[in-house]
Amino acid sequence: MRKNALFYLCLIYYLVAALLVPGFFSANNSWSLIFNLLPLLIAAIGQMYVILTGGIDLSATAIMATSSVVGGYIMSSDYGLNIPLSPLVLVVGVAAMLAIGMLIGLINGLSVSILGMPAFMVTLATMIFFNGLAVWITGSQNIYNLPEAFNNLFYTSVLWLPIPIWIGAIVLLLGFFILNKTVLGQWIYAVGMNGKTARVSGIHVGATTVFAYVFSGFCVSMAAILYTSRLETASPVMGQNILLDIIGAVIIGGSSLYGGKGKIHMTTLGAVFIILLDNSLNLMGLSYFMIMIIKGAVIVSAVLLNEWKQKSTV
Amino acid sequence: MILLFVLLLNSCVSKKKEGITIGISFETLQTEYWVASMEALKKECAEKNINVIEAVANGDANRQFEQVNNFIAKGVDGIIVAPKDAYTVIPIIKAANRANIPIGIYNRMPAKNSGQFVTVVADNYEITKRTVQHLCELAKGTNQKYKAMILIGDLGDINAVERRRGFNDAIAAYSDIIELVAEVPTEWNQEKALAGAINSLQAHHDINFIFTSSDFLFPSLISALKNTGKYHKIGHPKHVLLAGFDGDATAFNLLSKGYLDADGVQDLRLECKELIHAIVSRDSLTKPKVISDPGFVIHQKNLAETVNRMWGANLP
Repeated sequence: MRKNALFYLCLIYYLVAALLVPGFFSANNSWSLIFNLLPLLIAAIGQMYVILTGGIDLSATAIMATSSVVGGYIMSSDYGLNIPLSPLVLVVGVAAMLAIGMLIGLINGLSVSILGMPAFMVTLATMIFFNGLAVWITGSQNIYNLPEAFNNLFYTSVLWLPIPIWIGAIVLLLGFFILNKTVLGQWIYAVGMNGKTARVSGIHVGATTVFAYVFSGFCVSMAAILYTSRLETASPVMGQNILLDIIGAVIIGGSSLYGGKGKIHMTTLGAVFIILLDNSLNLMGLSYFMIMIIKGAVIVSAVLLNEWKQKSTV
Repeated sequence: MILLFVLLLNSCVSKKKEGITIGISFETLQTEYWVASMEALKKECAEKNINVIEAVANGDANRQFEQVNNFIAKGVDGIIVAPKDAYTVIPIIKAANRANIPIGIYNRMPAKNSGQFVTVVADNYEITKRTVQHLCELAKGTNQKYKAMILIGDLGDINAVERRRGFNDAIAAYSDIIELVAEVPTEWNQEKALAGAINSLQAHHDINFIFTSSDFLFPSLISALKNTGKYHKIGHPKHVLLAGFDGDATAFNLLSKGYLDADGVQDLRLECKELIHAIVSRDSLTKPKVISDPGFVIHQKNLAETVNRMWGANLP
């Protein structure tokens, strides 16, 4: 029962909201919930990998902005490279978005594992650096006129389901598979549990840590693809306010900020809960600031609960 | 439990009223102008017995998109958006069009004329031109030469571009007495405005003619003027001719105290009234429509007779 508490909380919250909030229980809103969930969930899965190793990735928003700008720079028909539209441009643009996210993840990972710098400082520094870079590249302007096929990602279906759902499902399954069915997944847990013990046990702590940050970069840039497509705009300030939601989803999902503890399905529920909260409070007409206060309170409660669980198991 | 209590309490308090509902999403409420606009829209809706759901995106275009989707899911009868910029509003318009819900764009013209929407926007060019012309006439009356400075907004924003164009065209007709010596880029940021204004006033000691593209930059501008010993009332020999755009409470205060010569005012009540009317009558579903607010210029001579129309003078 205790293990499934978050599932039941989400379920009860959903049912109560369906009864009390007009417009909540409708097909339109269900799609809205799913589409709002996908980018957050993908980014949260990446963040969870880093948190499992005992680190934190504060650069997620900067990765999102840089990835978006790089993609826009390549794909826009009236900005940056100005390449004539073709399917190849789309492929190169998307690949570049993923590559830049993974590159920033690599810088984070190497700085943490090889230079031994605290994850908090490293990712804060890369956040500032790459946020600045994104603004500098674009002169703080948004990039428009992206390929139609890219802009229509949310409205294009493959096997009866919109493409973003497939992307979300693939990242979710990949995240689950690596953590639960591979040796690498066991290493990630072991590094987060106790790095020194893991090293003595022959685990490649450095490489495992680097992988977690690279995977986080990959996931965040995947989320950036979805956000950029949905807005039909590449923006140097994309995702500026989403960091709290990303980390909040992981923490509400019960992952330990000390590392070594966390499950993909729980992070999924954490992201679902954040989106349910956002959507229902918004439909009730509560102001943005009130929503932020409630969300902040929920996340602080989750952290306190985490702390309490941590202490009670010592 | 607390969250469930919030849900329960809210559902009891906000029993759905009869009549239509409009969802209003603002990009920000960070300046007086946006707060006053939101209040004016809500007041207009209240007078017409229209229910309102409000949302603020806090500068996040993605969040605004999600908020509008939430409105659509709730089945609102109309949507009003004050968008982050002219492009990110396009997918929002498409989403409203797909749901066959009338959408009104407040204060910012969408970049592409695709889809069905109604836009209400001040005639930034004309209002600015008339305001600066008034300032130029004051300058002409003194038989002095003037060095001018303009605080320009974010040039990715069409409103800022049009205000700059209005300023340039106005002073071009007075090129014999007015020379533009400084253009301060602010990107609608008060800190940048302050630093830029101080730098320009120090580099050009003789600047004595200033226009700010938005009244919300007045605190920065006044600080810079005080810093360089140039802040004096009208009538003082060292008074700097000063004008702004918007019509906010700071501008009203400066006008009343005799520091500000003129201000271009957006007729907020007219804009809100026309936009709500267009949404309710579902005009935007038939053809794209632009409602232009001609605005007006308020200055020392007409202050008493026009002050009632200046939104900044009538804030609670």
